[in-house]
Amino acid sequence: MTRLGILSVAHLHAEGYVHNIRAIPGVELVGIADDDFARGRQFAAQFGLRLFDRYEALLEQRLDGAVICAENTRHRPLVELAAGAGAHVLCEKPLATTLPDAEAAIAACRRAEVELMVAFPMRFSAPLLEVKRVLDDGSLGRIYCCNGTNQGQNPHRHRAWFVNRALAGGGALSDHTVHLVDVMRWFFGSEVSEVYAQVNEIMPSGGDVESAGLVSLRFENGSFATIDCSWSRPASYPTWGGLTLEVIGERGVISSDAFRQIFTIYPERSPGVRWDHWGSDSNQAMIEEFVAAIREHRPPRVTGWDGYRAVEVVAAAYESARRGQPVRIAAHP
Amino acid sequence: MAIRVAIVGTGFMAGVHAEAWRQTPVQVVAFVARDWDQEAGAMAAKHQARLVTRLEEVLPDADVVDICTPTHLHADFTLRAAVAGKHVICEKPLALTVEEGRRMIRACRTHGVRLLVGHVLRFFPEYRAARDLVARGEVGRPAVLRLSRCAFQPRKADNWFIDPARSGGMMLDLMVHDFDFARWVAGDVVRVFARSTRDAAPQGGLDHALAILTHRDGAISHVEGSWAFPPPTFRTRFEIAGTEGLIVFDSPSAAAIVTYLHRQNGGERVEVPLPRSPLLESPYAIQLRTFTHALTGGDDPPVTAVDALAAVQIATAAIESSQRGTAIELTPPADES
Repeated sequence: MTRLGILSVAHLHAEGYVHNIRAIPGVELVGIADDDFARGRQFAAQFGLRLFDRYEALLEQRLDGAVICAENTRHRPLVELAAGAGAHVLCEKPLATTLPDAEAAIAACRRAEVELMVAFPMRFSAPLLEVKRVLDDGSLGRIYCCNGTNQGQNPHRHRAWFVNRALAGGGALSDHTVHLVDVMRWFFGSEVSEVYAQVNEIMPSGGDVESAGLVSLRFENGSFATIDCSWSRPASYPTWGGLTLEVIGERGVISSDAFRQIFTIYPERSPGVRWDHWGSDSNQAMIEEFVAAIREHRPPRVTGWDGYRAVEVVAAAYESARRGQPVRIAAHP
Repeated sequence: MAIRVAIVGTGFMAGVHAEAWRQTPVQVVAFVARDWDQEAGAMAAKHQARLVTRLEEVLPDADVVDICTPTHLHADFTLRAAVAGKHVICEKPLALTVEEGRRMIRACRTHGVRLLVGHVLRFFPEYRAARDLVARGEVGRPAVLRLSRCAFQPRKADNWFIDPARSGGMMLDLMVHDFDFARWVAGDVVRVFARSTRDAAPQGGLDHALAILTHRDGAISHVEGSWAFPPPTFRTRFEIAGTEGLIVFDSPSAAAIVTYLHRQNGGERVEVPLPRSPLLESPYAIQLRTFTHALTGGDDPPVTAVDALAAVQIATAAIESSQRGTAIELTPPADES
């Protein structure tokens, strides 16, 4: 039996992860803990889970793996705590909101000899895996550039901390840039070398963060890309948002939409049109990979280092937005 | 008496304009060709107009000069028409450089003639209606725009489109439409950053560019332009997100007609990409009708020469940004009229 626990349920994804974990044979979801006890109690009751009053108490249950769904700026102490207790770690994205925090999280897991995985479910998206296959088999020829969008509704409606800079580390830019940065690094097999970004908060964020952002990236291999990370989907949008990616190569273009596999539903009574996704669940595949890495004593397909590189791009993007010019990222040895 | 127009050029766009003029009371009296060839002769014959090789030969018989030449010739013909006291209609982009564009505007002012620039996108109903929705407050204050124009590379015998010395390149020739639209919707642009395959991978010979504009009031625009798609693709898209809502347009989703034909002889060969949607009046006809109205004492058209100059300024800044790898700060041109 593989024993997992969830450390903080601040992030909305914790709900989905409960279902994902329960769907895997031979995995036991031991329980949850949350520093916001009321939030933890409500979540535990809703999903029929055992609630521990302290993180340490949950970690004393000899967990094989800890899934961390805390507010962004609270990831680091929980990663350190879990690693110290010998649990492998799956940390919600972004890994951290500063480079020192990201480094510390990686170092803690290395010291404790546990694996650190970052929740980048798009690595497990069936449409994007198919794009990766096409890019790898060379049918597009050399890859020149990429146009990506990861737009969404303002998450403020579901969780207020997303628009609180002290807890989230930033707004749309830190929330939505990291997924596509990770996908592009994976697709290109190359690191980001330069970042340009512009942001604004014309659409009220509800807090003290930017609600719209456009990012331009250059990669070490000479290719380039843009990312639209804006919370530009209104409350009436038929779904939470989406992720699209168009790749332009020597022999043509491949256009992908990770969440296009939908029904359009037009209810007689409820207020609006709705899109329901029927495609494969990438979160399920991601959690299964975490469990498989634990069982097979190997690194997961997405590591803390991938999380670090995404945090690095976001930090450079904020600096660029402040300065109005592109910012270089030094090559790592 | 009907307005008489001389069309300069006998290429693709000259043909589009001549067809559009037929839907107005304006009379096309002549085509000015670079030299006598069969194609030019056929076009003149079709529209029952004279064919000449020097603009000055037809100026006495024309009220308006309609310039449909490659971009690098716009300034010269504009100056010659203005000196002769003829109104000028000029295809977009206005000019290859801001300085050249300013010279054209000054010349037309000096000689008291109008300079009307064919930013036809402003007459495409989907763009016009979207801008009207924004002006009526439908999306509130615009915050982030996405504009995209993806087509195949023009392929003509004398392919001036792909020669930057004559067309300015894809960012000026194609993306200028969306630069103008971005400015129309979200106001003046003060900073431009762009990356292009022309500069990132010149050996590939492909044209695809991604630009980020910053508007004076803080709104941001993502503009994509491409000649990297296979023919006969011409896909346009836009979305405008603001404080009160979002407008989304995607040309494939708005296709009123889709045909699935078994191909014979490889199908029709299209040389220059042009967007098509079945309409009772073509955007080109609406544009030229609006221009005619302006020339006969009616309202100003919805696009001024200074608007066209501002679009050239944004496009040339995007080109410079892509070449230098830095963001370019702009001081938008003022309307000096």
